[in-house]
Amino acid sequence: MVGGADVDRVSAMPEARTDICLLLERVARQDRAAFGVLYHTAGPKLMGVLLRILGTRAEAEDALQEVFTRVWLRAGRYDAARGVGMAWLVALTRNHAIDRLRARRPEQAEDGAAELIPDQSPRAEHRLIALGEARRVAECFDTLEPAKAQAVRGAYLDGLSYDALAARHAVPLNTMRTWLRRSLLKLKECLDQ
Amino acid sequence: MTDAPLTPEDDDDALAGEYVLGVLDLAARLAVEARIKAGAQIAARVTAWEVRLSPLNDGYDPAPLPDLLPQIEARLFPKPATARRGWRSWLAGAAAAAALAVGVLVMVAPAPKAPLLATLSASDAPLAYEARHDGNRLTVRQIAGLPAPAGQSHQLWIIAPGSAPVSLGLLGAAPLQVDTPRPPQGWVLAVSVEPAGGSPTSAPTGPVILTAEIGA
Repeated sequence: MVGGADVDRVSAMPEARTDICLLLERVARQDRAAFGVLYHTAGPKLMGVLLRILGTRAEAEDALQEVFTRVWLRAGRYDAARGVGMAWLVALTRNHAIDRLRARRPEQAEDGAAELIPDQSPRAEHRLIALGEARRVAECFDTLEPAKAQAVRGAYLDGLSYDALAARHAVPLNTMRTWLRRSLLKLKECLDQ
Repeated sequence: MTDAPLTPEDDDDALAGEYVLGVLDLAARLAVEARIKAGAQIAARVTAWEVRLSPLNDGYDPAPLPDLLPQIEARLFPKPATARRGWRSWLAGAAAAAALAVGVLVMVAPAPKAPLLATLSASDAPLAYEARHDGNRLTVRQIAGLPAPAGQSHQLWIIAPGSAPVSLGLLGAAPLQVDTPRPPQGWVLAVSVEPAGGSPTSAPTGPVILTAEIGA
């Protein structure tokens, strides 16, 4: 699954072994100074993730405290072979943000928040055509029908639920679920080649 | 659902992808998390999806960073390393120790062991709780790890499939006891980290650190 190919590709990425990885390794050894530097280095990106998914500054700030609490507690689990430092941090951050969204009491609150956020995907997507790995993902997304590619990206970047995605694309929930699952497997096949 | 012809491997891989995308509802997310924590193969599938989709992270614009580091550090490191311990903090420490002694006395009281319902643990964290049910009463006690640090509480939740989590109470040094019928198979117990005194809302606000699905 996470075999040699994944690991090789990851270690070939330029960000690997840079600041964030080294900082995470120091944080894992309970280095508080490194933790402070990591907050200021990675914080703006993680705050961007939280704002985009959660929609309000107040909740994003609350979540940021949780995220860095987890980073301190879990840095020991960070394994450079599993992914570059920033990818690990963003995965942890998205996971927490989505847990918060899904735990919100009335399901409407989440969908409401998703409506309020302007759909920034087209602009953001242009930046995907950057280098190597990103270009590869962009190419694989291009093998999907545009609406399906858009649904996968929207789910990832905005943390949309199936309900919200189905509403955004005006298709029944089950159709959305089938689309997305098929698209994921198609992407996997393309990306793992 | 309608996509019948997937192999079990593809089905699990699609589920891991759905989990990483974040489209699943809370009950389905927690079920995946329970499988990850049980050390199932799905953990590797989830990691692979995180790596696969990480180039999409370029789509997140950095945002101005609020200076929350002092609050975060106060939470993680209740006493700054450089601070001298004055008599006030000594007194507070003594009071805490006295309170702890009372807690220990209460805990020592022998409790007959009811049948095990679920063990809430993570393969990569030293914290674990066990849930037992004697037919009328659910008892959840810590069996490994440290209690929640000062300023935080561990809160126990129960989640019926497709429903929002319901709080069962706060987990402390003494076992948590709740009079309730045995939860059915497929329900999920979860522990979240909350501010001291528990979640300010009716839902978990902090990270869910442990989950376990109730078996047959």
